[in-house]
Amino acid sequence: MKSTAPLQRLVQLLLVVVGSTFFVSILIRLLPVGLEDIYVVNPDPVGRAKEISDLGLDLNPFAFYFRWLSGFFRGDFGSYVYPGPTLEPVSEHITRTLPVTLQLIVYVQIVALAFAIPLGLVSAYKVGTRVDRVISNGLFIFSSVPSFVIALLLAFYIGVQLGWVPPLGYAPPFCSAEDIDSATACGFGEHFKLMVLPVVSLSIPLIASYTRLLRTDVIATLREDFVTMAASKGLSNRRILWTHVFRPSSITLFTSAALNMGALVGGALVIETIFSIPGIGFEIALAIGSRQYFALQAYIAIIAFGYVFFNVLVDLTVGLIDPRAKERRK
Amino acid sequence: MKFKQMGIFSKACVVWLGLVMFFVVFGQFIPLPKPTDFDIEAMGVGLFDSWKHPLGTDSNGYDLLSNAILGARPSMLISLVSVFIGGIIGSTLGIIAAYKRGKLDYIVNTVFNIVLSIPNLVLGLALVAVLATNPDPNIEVPTSRRVFVIVLSLTIVIVPILGRIARGATLSWSNREFVVAARSMGMKDSKIIIKHIVPNVLPAIYAVGFLAIGVVIVVEGSLSLLGVGIVDGVSWGSMIARVRGDLEFAPHSMLVPVTILALTVIACNQLGDVLRSRLDSREGRL
Repeated sequence: MKSTAPLQRLVQLLLVVVGSTFFVSILIRLLPVGLEDIYVVNPDPVGRAKEISDLGLDLNPFAFYFRWLSGFFRGDFGSYVYPGPTLEPVSEHITRTLPVTLQLIVYVQIVALAFAIPLGLVSAYKVGTRVDRVISNGLFIFSSVPSFVIALLLAFYIGVQLGWVPPLGYAPPFCSAEDIDSATACGFGEHFKLMVLPVVSLSIPLIASYTRLLRTDVIATLREDFVTMAASKGLSNRRILWTHVFRPSSITLFTSAALNMGALVGGALVIETIFSIPGIGFEIALAIGSRQYFALQAYIAIIAFGYVFFNVLVDLTVGLIDPRAKERRK
Repeated sequence: MKFKQMGIFSKACVVWLGLVMFFVVFGQFIPLPKPTDFDIEAMGVGLFDSWKHPLGTDSNGYDLLSNAILGARPSMLISLVSVFIGGIIGSTLGIIAAYKRGKLDYIVNTVFNIVLSIPNLVLGLALVAVLATNPDPNIEVPTSRRVFVIVLSLTIVIVPILGRIARGATLSWSNREFVVAARSMGMKDSKIIIKHIVPNVLPAIYAVGFLAIGVVIVVEGSLSLLGVGIVDGVSWGSMIARVRGDLEFAPHSMLVPVTILALTVIACNQLGDVLRSRLDSREGRL
């Protein structure tokens, strides 16, 4: 960690949000096709000019961006534009799809950490032994297999051939009145059955990389004096590992888990498409496929905000996990 | 590193990548059924079932072996070219920024952070979708333009990944005694960078470059799965996308490209990892 003052760090993070949204804004104005040719179909020149200025497409790229930015901070996330022009607020799509993806990502993180923490502790404790080699090498191979490969194989072998769980689809965990009326699948049982395959395929590569991070740090911590001290007091190895070693070794692990949230949205994009889960990843793919560039801009802004949020979260919580880190940064 | 000193797994990885590169260069000259010729008498032939089609055929009768071999070229060339160009741009930026420090460093670092804040795949997808559009949605974008756009987008994805590695390595090397000595003797900055910094930073970039090839192969495959990759080309990714609907009739037709892609990524990651751990132990001795 660098020792930048918090304010400076905040400025840099804000620059990231402004920069990435500005980048997308410029990008969509650079289209080989003008946006006005895609969205405006009115043959009447006066009506056409009005529609173009309603969308802000007559402005120069900078003014266009500031119009978008001020709207964004007032809670106007832009709209899906259909010829006509019919506008459909992006915020409706976001409130519908973002929770689904967050849910998926949270499951993935929980599963990944639940496997990675014991595996990392064991392989570090038994460093150099056969157990360590099997865990490390086995996980290395898994970490290299792309998650869409795992997803496709699982969907076919577990979902279709064995038929243990449905190969694709999504069911909300709580049934709304609508769901009951239309008899769509819902409820916890259905929900978890359908989430198993996507969660497994996204978490396998993560388990591998988390285990590796934790293993390296635990090996370093095991050499510390306080561990020798605890051992000489006669504490059991299990107790030492969990209470004395795990906490100071977990900083890199939790930092990278938090910073991974953004990358997981990218992973979720393919996985949601494969399993047809109506999350934000799927929505991004749809928006790009149907040329909804204003919507794309809003989605990227949300991802960039997520990135900043988790960066700040990491900065704030590192000191709580290991007070020494705070000292070092001063 | 000498081939003999490697572990058995790394040797296998080198052999596999060598084989893939052989197919990239000579794939066209191997006498095989054409990938676009469908064999009407042999649809959905299983793995190792017939001499004519060693890896079988998909449900359309396309030969899987020849598709996989000829798919090596587009897949590998796209990743190698974009990692190469992205690596050169990224490491140049990273090295100069870290050497000069100050404002330039701040700007470059911020730009890297901006690009890194958007997930690889979302960025690649957005760039390809935006740059490869046609005024008339009914006309397909020509393959050459699509390939160019994909390479360009993946290059943009790679630049900050390798750039940040180069920047970090340069920061730690540029304060070493021999660099300070060279500077105090009045050596020009450009010469210091070329003579003293670059040779020391390069190994780290090679190591991460291998990992980056793996990243790019995966992103390219995902782009094809999402329907914006090379459509009529026969890259591994587009092969996977094409046989996806085939799973029920000829499951092995998915297994072949998926295994080849995964093995290649594993091999790249392993070699990158070996290079990196060798680097760490060299640093450790200092």
